[in-house]
Amino acid sequence: MRRREFYGLVGPSVAVMVGLLVVPLYLTVKWSFQEVDYGSPGQFVGLDNYAQAFTDPRFGRALVFTAGLTVVVTAVLLGAGYVLAAAVNRLGRMRPVVLGILLISYVIPNVVGATMFSWLFDQNFGGVVNLAFSWLTGEEVLWYVETWPNRIMVALNVIWSMLPFATLILLAGLQGVPRDVLEAAQLDGAGPIRTHWSIIVPSIRGVIGFVGLISIMDILRVFDNLVPLSPQAVQLGNESVMLYIFNIAFRDGGQDLGLGSALSVLTIVVILVMLYPFLRDVVREARQA
Amino acid sequence: MRAPARRPLARTGLGPIGTVLLTLVCLLMLLPVIWTVLSVTKPTSVAFVNPPVLTYSPTLEVFADLWQSTYFYRYLLNTFVVAVVSTLVALVLGIPAAYALSRFPGWVSIALLLLALVFRSLPRFAIVLPMYDISRSLGIYDTRFVLAMALVAINQPFTIWLLRNFFAAIPRELDEAAMLDGCRRHQILTRIMVPLLGPGILTAAIFVFFFAFQEYLTAVVLTNTEAGTVPVFVATQLGQTLPMLQQAGAAAVLLTLPVMLFAFVAQRYLVAGLSSGSVRG
Repeated sequence: MRRREFYGLVGPSVAVMVGLLVVPLYLTVKWSFQEVDYGSPGQFVGLDNYAQAFTDPRFGRALVFTAGLTVVVTAVLLGAGYVLAAAVNRLGRMRPVVLGILLISYVIPNVVGATMFSWLFDQNFGGVVNLAFSWLTGEEVLWYVETWPNRIMVALNVIWSMLPFATLILLAGLQGVPRDVLEAAQLDGAGPIRTHWSIIVPSIRGVIGFVGLISIMDILRVFDNLVPLSPQAVQLGNESVMLYIFNIAFRDGGQDLGLGSALSVLTIVVILVMLYPFLRDVVREARQA
Repeated sequence: MRAPARRPLARTGLGPIGTVLLTLVCLLMLLPVIWTVLSVTKPTSVAFVNPPVLTYSPTLEVFADLWQSTYFYRYLLNTFVVAVVSTLVALVLGIPAAYALSRFPGWVSIALLLLALVFRSLPRFAIVLPMYDISRSLGIYDTRFVLAMALVAINQPFTIWLLRNFFAAIPRELDEAAMLDGCRRHQILTRIMVPLLGPGILTAAIFVFFFAFQEYLTAVVLTNTEAGTVPVFVATQLGQTLPMLQQAGAAAVLLTLPVMLFAFVAQRYLVAGLSSGSVRG
């Protein structure tokens, strides 16, 4: 392909991305060094916003909450997703039905799914999960006003919405494991658990890593789910980083747009660091091709 | 693909315990939807009482209510217009770009693909809050246009990656043969590649459509009452009165049922898109 043809073909797409992604990103970086409000030019304040971010206890709490949620949910997603994928992989005729059911929570908008999820737990509305729980344990849990129950409910919802994705990617990985490898394992007398742990898991670790990476990046950006599930997130200390940025930089007129922008920039740095190994792999593959 | 003849190896089927557990998981995944369907077919007076009423005469009153006393139809229309327009524009921009990226060997391609990967992972607010500021000063805030364009841009990196992987699987010899027959580059793209890549393009279209139609964060920032979408509608109904809550449930069901049906019908494409390993916006 000639250079001129290449630029002609990628030109429109790149122009849109420059205009609508690069320019806004540039503004965010600029605002992060400013005391600024929507619609008016900002005033340069150097690193003040960053200094404020690092000393703000509310940001600290949001960071700890988000990181904790990310670690726990990613671990559950990988474990449960793998088991579920292995189970689906053994299905015959029922497979499309099970896959169809599993896809449902993936295709429902997050905020809508979380709304439906919230009704299962709401003690005022006779939520069925809440009833079952208090019947089983004899305890009345306040899912919306106690910090830890609320955290558990949010985590369960994020798992509910992301499990299909993890399962389907892992399933694709399982289908790629060569049959002769499995046959050899069986001949050597490896049981099912041994086969999974010592043979299949290591041979699809690339896929597992990919699922882990995407999950981590998605949960770090969690926002939609908290809107219906944690109306009192700020008081409970269950504010995610994204929700915190939204609250200070948009809601109520966005009085802290500068600080919010600085927090966005810090998040980008974290994401870039985590993406680095993945980006390196892409370059290596592209060089070889 | 699975070859049925080779099945006998690892005993297929799950055994009784596995079957029970898998059924349980499926039920749990469906539970929020089932519970909501129950809540919205109850009369409003008992829809959200504690303990829940399980025997009632089903009614669809709340759906009529949703249609008559709220602007739900407007939000629904916005959702579909924005999703369709942003999908079409994303493909028109993305298909040529993805084709070029799969064929042009230089470092520019690698750099563009890397940048696309980075932009795909950015936190939304870094993009959307400046868009809010710009759209207000341009006077296009709270229009379907600005929301559709924002979604085209936000999903463009994903669109390019997914399509580029599909194009990369088509051998270059095909291009060369067409060139020898006197085809120009754009003719190769429109006459050979696009028809050949039909299912791949459909997969990309389905995903971009879903991303647009699921998006809450971008819509809540860039729209208000005129161009809001269904997720925004559902969120604003919360924490208000009980009838409004039930309306939100009805809206959720109206949105969810077609999508569930679609997940069954278009399963092949969804699984193909997910498996190609580059999914998620």
